[in-house]
Formats: sequence, C-alpha cells, structure tokens
Amino acid sequence: MTEGEKAEDAPISKASNRGVGHSGSILGNHVETDKMLLEGTRSAPGFRGDVIFQPYVSRLDAELFKRGEEVCASKAIAVGPEGAALDKGKCIMCGMCQQVAPQAFKMVNSFAVPVTTRRDLLVAQMPGPGEGGPSQTVDEIGARLSHRIKKLLGRSLAIREVDAGSCNGCEVEVSALNNPVYDIERFGIHFVASPRHADVLLVTGVASRNLELALRRTFEATPDPKVVVAVGACACSGGIFGDTYATSGGIGKVVPVDVFVPGCPPRPEALLYGLLLAVDRVGPAASA
Amino acid sequence: MIACSDERRTAGGFALRYVFDVEGADIFIVLLSRVEDWKPGSPPTYPSVALLIPSATLYEREIKDMFGLVAEGSPDSRPLVLHEQWPEDAHPLRKDYTLQTKQSRVGDRRYQFLEVEGEGVSEIPVGPVHAGIIEPGHFRFSILGETVVNLETRLYYTHRGVEKLAENLTLDQVVLLSERISGDEAIANSTAYCQSIEKIAGVEPPRRATQVRTVCAEMERVYNHLGTLAALSLDAGFAYGYARLALLKERMMRLNEEVAGSRLLFGVNRIGGVNVDFTHQLARRAVEEMGQVRGDFEKVVKLLRSESSVMDRLSGTGRIQLESAVEMGLLGVAARGSGMDCDTRRDHPYGAYRGMKTDLREGTRRQITERMIKMAKAGGDVLARFEARASEVMSSTDMVKEILEDLDGDLRLRDLVAEDMLEPFGNALGYAESHRGQTLHWVMVGEDGHSVFRYKVRTASFANWPAIELAVLNDIVADFPLINKSLDLSYAGNDL
Repeated sequence: MTEGEKAEDAPISKASNRGVGHSGSILGNHVETDKMLLEGTRSAPGFRGDVIFQPYVSRLDAELFKRGEEVCASKAIAVGPEGAALDKGKCIMCGMCQQVAPQAFKMVNSFAVPVTTRRDLLVAQMPGPGEGGPSQTVDEIGARLSHRIKKLLGRSLAIREVDAGSCNGCEVEVSALNNPVYDIERFGIHFVASPRHADVLLVTGVASRNLELALRRTFEATPDPKVVVAVGACACSGGIFGDTYATSGGIGKVVPVDVFVPGCPPRPEALLYGLLLAVDRVGPAASA
Repeated sequence: MIACSDERRTAGGFALRYVFDVEGADIFIVLLSRVEDWKPGSPPTYPSVALLIPSATLYEREIKDMFGLVAEGSPDSRPLVLHEQWPEDAHPLRKDYTLQTKQSRVGDRRYQFLEVEGEGVSEIPVGPVHAGIIEPGHFRFSILGETVVNLETRLYYTHRGVEKLAENLTLDQVVLLSERISGDEAIANSTAYCQSIEKIAGVEPPRRATQVRTVCAEMERVYNHLGTLAALSLDAGFAYGYARLALLKERMMRLNEEVAGSRLLFGVNRIGGVNVDFTHQLARRAVEEMGQVRGDFEKVVKLLRSESSVMDRLSGTGRIQLESAVEMGLLGVAARGSGMDCDTRRDHPYGAYRGMKTDLREGTRRQITERMIKMAKAGGDVLARFEARASEVMSSTDMVKEILEDLDGDLRLRDLVAEDMLEPFGNALGYAESHRGQTLHWVMVGEDGHSVFRYKVRTASFANWPAIELAVLNDIVADFPLINKSLDLSYAGNDL
C-alpha cells in the first residue's frame, strides 16, 4: 500500500492482499491473508478521555462548579472557598459535568495523563486557558518505551496483571494491548503468568475487601525492584465505588503505588504511557 | 430470582420477592413473601425452597450474608458473598448498616470446601489471582490423574458493594454505576436499569432512543463474542485465529468509540432515552464497518471449522446436558448451546426488539428449532457454544443493519425525572439480554421518589456460574480454560 492510498478520516483503512502464497505453506491453501493498515490511531473526536476546566471561567462563578459537584457520581469535583478542584484520579469520564455545566467543564478526546504521585491528579481551577493532555499514538509512545526498556533494563519488561476488584472494563483494555493492533511485545513488554517473574504489577480495581489479602500477597511475591501501576479510576481512588464497606478506596491503601493511570477505563495508549513512567522507576533500581 | 429487601421500617419486616420467568409467555410472576421482624437474639427465618428449585440455593446463601435471614432446611448454608474474614453479624444490605462501615477482620472462620477422598485423588487450588489477564476467583479442583472429579468455585472476590452503593446515589448516577457492574456488559445492564425506572414512571423512551439502545446492545454482543471466540482459538493453541478475531474485536471497539465516545460503550443510556445519536453519516459508517467485520469473520470461522486441531479440542469438551441446563436455569449462550430455547429478546421483547425476529438469519421458527435440536444432539459442548456465538455475531450484524436503515423520529427526551412521576416505593423489573444471557434488575425507589430504596441485580453470570462445576467433570484440567472461556462468565457481574 502506498502513501497515497491512506485514508485520512477512517481510523482503519483496509486493503486486501490475497497473497495466498507465503502463508499457504504453513496454514494450508485455504488461508487468505489480509493486510490491514492502521493510521490516525488517535482518539475519535467524541472520545471522553479527559475533563478540563473551560478556559476563562471566573472562579467566582461558583454556581456552575456547584452544579458539576452535585452531579458527579464519583465525587471528583469539589468546590471550596478557594475555587473548584478536580480529582482526575476519581473521574470516571462520564461527561455529566459537561452536560449540566458546559460553561465550566469540557470533555476532551486526549487521554488523561498518567502521573507518578497521587497529588498530581488533583487539578485546581485557574482562570486562564484550559489544557488537554497529550494525544500521542501507540507508535510514538511505544518507540520511546522500547528505547527506555532497552537502555535501562537491557531485556524485556515483565508485567503481571492483577485484578483487585475491577468491573472488568480495565481488563478489556489491558488485554487489547496484546491484540495485533497494539501488539506490545514488539516494544519489549510481555505479560507473565506469575508475580515471581514480574517487574511491574499492573493493578486494576478498587482493592475490594475480599481481595486485599491476595493483593498484598501478590505484591510480596514479586521480587524487588518492583513497580506498582494503578490502572483506572478505581485503582487510583476507588472511582465510582469510592471507599465503602466492601472497598478500600484505591489500591494505594493496600500496596505502595508508583504510577497512577487515570481513566475509566484508560485507553491502551494511556496504559502504554503509564508503563513508560513505570520503566523509569524500575530501571534505575534494577541497575543499582 | 429471589430479591430480598429490608422493609422493616416501612412494612414491618423483610420482603422476599420470588421472580419466575414463565416459559412461552411474556410474563414474569412475582411472589411476595414477608418475613416478620425477629425476636431479639435469634435471626429471622423463612422456609427454604432449594430442595424444590436447586438454583435457589445461591440466592438463599446470598440473602443470609447480606440480610441475615436464615433459610430453614437449606442444603447449603455456607457464607457466599462475605468471606470468612467478615464477622458473622455483618449484613451490609440491612438499612441500619451504613455504606461506609469498616468491619474488623476476624481470623477464626474457615470456608468448608467439599473434600473428595480416595486413593490417588489430589487437589489443585487455583487463584484468586490467575495467570492470565482475567478476573479473580478461586477454583478448587479435585483430580484423579489428569481427570477432574470435582470442581468447586469460590467467587465474590470482586464484591464492590454495588447494590448498597446504589442506595446512596441519585437515580441518574445509578445509570453510571449499572454500566460498571460488569464493564463489558455496560449496555445490557444500564438498559435493564433504565427500563425499570421508566416502567415505574410509566413512560416510554422515544422510538429512536430504543433503536439506538438496541443497536448499541447488538454492537456490544458482537465485540464480546468476537473476543470470546478469539480467546477460544488461542486456548485451543491456534494463534492465527486469535490474531484475526482479536483484530476484528479491536475494529468493533473503535466503532464503539466513534459512536459512544467510549470503547466500552459507556455513557450511552440515560433514564428515558439515550445520550448518543446516529447521524446519517455515522449510521452508514457503522453498517459498512460491521459488514466488513462480518465478511472477515465468516472467513475466519470457516477456517477454524476446517482446522482439525481446533475442532478436536472444542468438540465433546465441557458437556452440559439439556436436562442439567434446565435444572440449573442456565441463560443465554450457555443455555442455547445445550439446546434450551430461551432468549429474552424474543421471549420478553423490549425496546426495538418488539416485532423483530431476533434470529433473522435463520428465518422461521421451525428452522431455529431445528438448529436447537442439532445443538442438543451435540450435547452442549464447547463447540456448540462456539457455534451459538458465531451465529449470533451474524444475526446481530443483520439486526444492526436493519435498525440503522430504519432509524426514525427524533431523540427528544421527555423530562422524566420530575419527582412526582415516581410514586413512593414504586418498584419494577427491568430486563435485557446481554451477550451472556438475561440480566434482571429489580428496583424499588425510595419514599421521596428520587432515590433508590433497593437495587437488586441478577446478571446471567450469577445463573451460569454453577454450570462450570458440572461442565468440567471428567474432562482434563488442561481443558478448563477452554471450557471457562466458552461459558464466558463475568466475575464482576456475579460478585457485584
């Protein structure tokens, strides 16, 4: 496929290449191979990846923010005398605040940026231009990731995924990393079956009370140096489930967290970005 | 389904609602029974029906944990939801138990697994943290050589307190919560919830909204079935099939993103309607994309059927006989794979399914029945469930096409949540067919008419989980992942 054939708008353009020849020898003559080209892998225009404050809203406009606070199911918006604050670690990207107060809140299609401290997910409202996160593609993040892994570890990065009480939405996205589109093994990352083989624990879910012990044991079974990545609003803060009789209000209450990946669920690009931060944490410790 | 609710303050006792789905008629029968408040010092009791209706056992165990009502004469009274580290007197769904209660841990209780004794019998404990990227649950296999002689599942690790939490949110916020009961069933669960509130209010969403809901529901079915079939192919050791199908799933998820702004179709439903709409352009794009996905899918399925290494693994593995399926009250693909002819979309048509054939591809009822007989002959093995899913991918894409070409009206939303529309303690049953089977939501609104008094959720996974213990018998341990995947059970949807 040549450059000229690439379709700009369609996220996936497809060209058939019925080349039975090269695969036929392995899979028999009845196998057809298709060549798919993925481009413009950036989010769809309507994707709810992050929420920002609308630019140039006076902080005195408390009424607008109050409306957002009231409607927010995961209590990510807090209005105080100092103005409004947004906790992206709690936000489930439902867009309700935008629906009730479009003058104050705006959903953007770039994903919420993963960070290394919980505090960095708190955003205070500032009068001024709002900003969205990066909208890098898988290949852009992947290239950086692969470079860092090679440089810092000199081998591939091993990840153990732990579901600590999620709704399985995050699992859908984590397993998408393995599909032929994202195919993260090409960047030197692979999922392992045991915490004993892992550098990184990718933890999803609220750390439910029934799983706390298992999570703690999994953490203890992982050899040092280890990095814990909290995936999704639930793992960062409890998300919509909050801190209740059945949940812990985030995995940070049970194990130390190195990287927070906000989102509900975070899209695969955001997960990769979170891993990029994780490698920087595991690398120096491993070489020390 | 048995739904319990704590109505001690309002009606002087606990209420038990036994919900029966009537075969061959669009009726649910609800029997209401009241359990009077107890004498101090002894728990309230009611007679168990588990010996007559085996599937009632799990409900009765759940009620014992969450409400502290004891079913007298129940064959199994072990704890279910609350694991052994919970104190015995904790009953989270009682009204006098607050959401934020932090219970202390107790260490002296032990869960009693069924022990199999005999020469050469050994146990393999698996989980709750699994080797793959899946949800948590504990499996206790008793094996003789490689053959499984008994399997006991221990779930509820992902219990997040959904039902209790709903009582502390607004009606609109519960829609968001219902989407997160089981992330991959977002549309089915939120549809069932919205329908029950709409029923209480006595309103119908505009026709176009029901069409959008239905299209999204079918898109959800397709992307999940593609994922399940991909995983089946991988577990059977055929990576090429996995790659092809996983690619199709990714394409569907991108379509989801374009339609709903979420790759998992979060945020589509709202009470009284939907938040998204199909423009003419988007509808055309969706039909075209799903047409391509379907074209590719047909090729891959044809390939899988011709690979003896795959077919050999699927065929005859994980059998569930029709009689057992009926007795356990299985739902969805698990039931249809064993030849049980049930489908909520047809039996209790809702939304845009009214007046629509759910299996357009197969045509007449007679042909559907013939297919069912054929399946029943296959004995409900992994292959039968594989075929059931494959044919649903086809029929779902047909349905999406049919509806999108027939979109009409507008999305004008009626102002539903006007407080006077919901009568105090009004309650109703909402239901939908997810890709796993029927999901039932029973909602009772509060005295003020704009809060949830009780939200009882029964997803298809709850009904289907017992099937796995039966399906693996006499198969080898190595076939367990394949059988598990073929039933496609949600842990989160079961544990709530």
